[in-house]
Amino acid sequence: MTTSELEVTRRPAAADPPRRLPILAERVVAPFRRGTPPDPRPATGFYTDTTVCIGCKACEVACKQWNQLPADGFAWTGNSYDNTGGLSATSWRQVKFIEQFDGAGAGHPDRWLMMSDVCKHCVAAPCQHACPTGAIIYNEFGNVYIQPDICNGCAYCIAACPFGVITRATIDGHAHKCTLCFDRQRDGLVPACAKACPTASIQFGPVDELLERARSRVEELHRRGETDAYLYGDRPGPTYSSLNSFYLLVDRPSVYGLPETPVNPWLHMQGDYLRALVSGLLSLAALVAALLLGGAHR
Amino acid sequence: MTAPMNMDQTQQATVVGYESRPVTKPPNWHGLVTLDMVLNNLSTGLFLVAAVGELLDPVAFRPLAPLVYPLVLLFLLGDLVCLVLDLGDPKRFHHMLRVWKPSSPMSLGTWVLSAYAVPVTLLAAGSLLPFAIGGVGLDLVRRALLAVGAVLAVAAAAYKGVLFSTTAQRGWEEARWMGGYLINSALCLGAAEMLLLATLSGHEAAMLDPLRLAARLLLALNLIAIMLLAKDVRGPLSAARGPDGIASLALLAIGAGVILPFVFVGASGPVGVAVALGLMLVGAVAVRSAIVQMPHRLAEGRTVARHLT
Repeated sequence: MTTSELEVTRRPAAADPPRRLPILAERVVAPFRRGTPPDPRPATGFYTDTTVCIGCKACEVACKQWNQLPADGFAWTGNSYDNTGGLSATSWRQVKFIEQFDGAGAGHPDRWLMMSDVCKHCVAAPCQHACPTGAIIYNEFGNVYIQPDICNGCAYCIAACPFGVITRATIDGHAHKCTLCFDRQRDGLVPACAKACPTASIQFGPVDELLERARSRVEELHRRGETDAYLYGDRPGPTYSSLNSFYLLVDRPSVYGLPETPVNPWLHMQGDYLRALVSGLLSLAALVAALLLGGAHR
Repeated sequence: MTAPMNMDQTQQATVVGYESRPVTKPPNWHGLVTLDMVLNNLSTGLFLVAAVGELLDPVAFRPLAPLVYPLVLLFLLGDLVCLVLDLGDPKRFHHMLRVWKPSSPMSLGTWVLSAYAVPVTLLAAGSLLPFAIGGVGLDLVRRALLAVGAVLAVAAAAYKGVLFSTTAQRGWEEARWMGGYLINSALCLGAAEMLLLATLSGHEAAMLDPLRLAARLLLALNLIAIMLLAKDVRGPLSAARGPDGIASLALLAIGAGVILPFVFVGASGPVGVAVALGLMLVGAVAVRSAIVQMPHRLAEGRTVARHLT
């Protein structure tokens, strides 16, 4: 017999799992418990073909609706039709509108560029590297996932992200971003945004398949005369890993609000520690020398 | 019927797009983070000077222990309170300790601060409870605590600098010498604090002179550290503050923070030394605050020149 949603509230308390510890102790201990990690699956991601985006914002709506994200209020930004303003803790998709008219496109004919932006689910994600609580993990699909019950809102991931994706919610103080519909994927469903996209601008699937599809699309566009088409984030660069959410673009990345050459902040870490160590040793040597020369060691 | 668009509005309408907008988002780190760094360095610097001094000359430095280590602990507690309050969800502060992740400077810093708190607390308790001190065995334990604490204090003083420089934020990501500056600045503050405590306790010149020399040597190194840090961040810093802001910052960081204390640490009375420490604090706060504010100022558009990367 199935239980309807209305019946859930009437369930006897005995149906709940027995609580082993008082609430406060449970609160302290629970984050330290470890479950068994699931077996890894083929990495999944998004391939966003910006040439077929029509700016309908169905992805934004589907994302908000599925993930039950609260409204952000409403304000005219003055930036074309983009009144979302940016990715945030409560907006995990943002459709960007670029109006290239009256020569604004640097040699291109007048045109609209539209792109649905989202977390890049970096293969080597600086946010995951930064996270001191272990809240940010790679899940079994290779997606970068923030465990909402672990994050304590330290905001280091926000500082580390070179794409400006993550923000901290004012509601609960925790960091939030696209989960790549982890819950839907586990149930064998396509993420809500990809499902809602009417032009297949947002495509979801195993990254290998997406890459194959995207590369043949670039070739096709080149054959049809759109020689500026290229993939952003499909392969690792000298300063950054590849992205599991990558884009087909027809203009420079900065036109779409993406960094031209993202840099992983961790490339400098060893050198920075070394500089700190050198400074510390020199300063300590100065202190010891002063104390010895000044006659402290009598 | 709508009014026709004038030229200004037309020009404004063409400035839409994403190219001139900052890509990254600065985290909500402001005054508490500056205060946290200052308290951290007041604690670690004082501990380092006291520990090194006591290991080299226990006769001169140990009498100051009842003052020094409780003060070190007090600064550390203040630092920890700032760190907890700055979290989005302070009730989850203990989540920091659920993983050991030295590849993350914040995780490393959390563990280092936690470990540093152990010798500091024991030494503070030992200093306040005279019956706990005495005997060869306890003396060895005390020296071990000082040595271990000193190593941890170096890491605790410096980690925050690396934490800032390993981000994607404009100004912070260029600050290669931030960790180097912080550890040196901590020792400068520590030498001045120790000098003030020693002066207030009426110690003889034989102890004060080495501390004055140490403070001056460390201030000279501090000037180099400031220059190296300024060289790293000069582009975004000038974009964020403008020429007037840079001039006033230099006045505070170098004039008030280095040159004047260099003179005042020579004072024989506690007032002069207190002035030196106060000026050092002004310089230390100015540098830390300027660094913390940089990406916020740039993101908020309070720029006076385009920051070209």
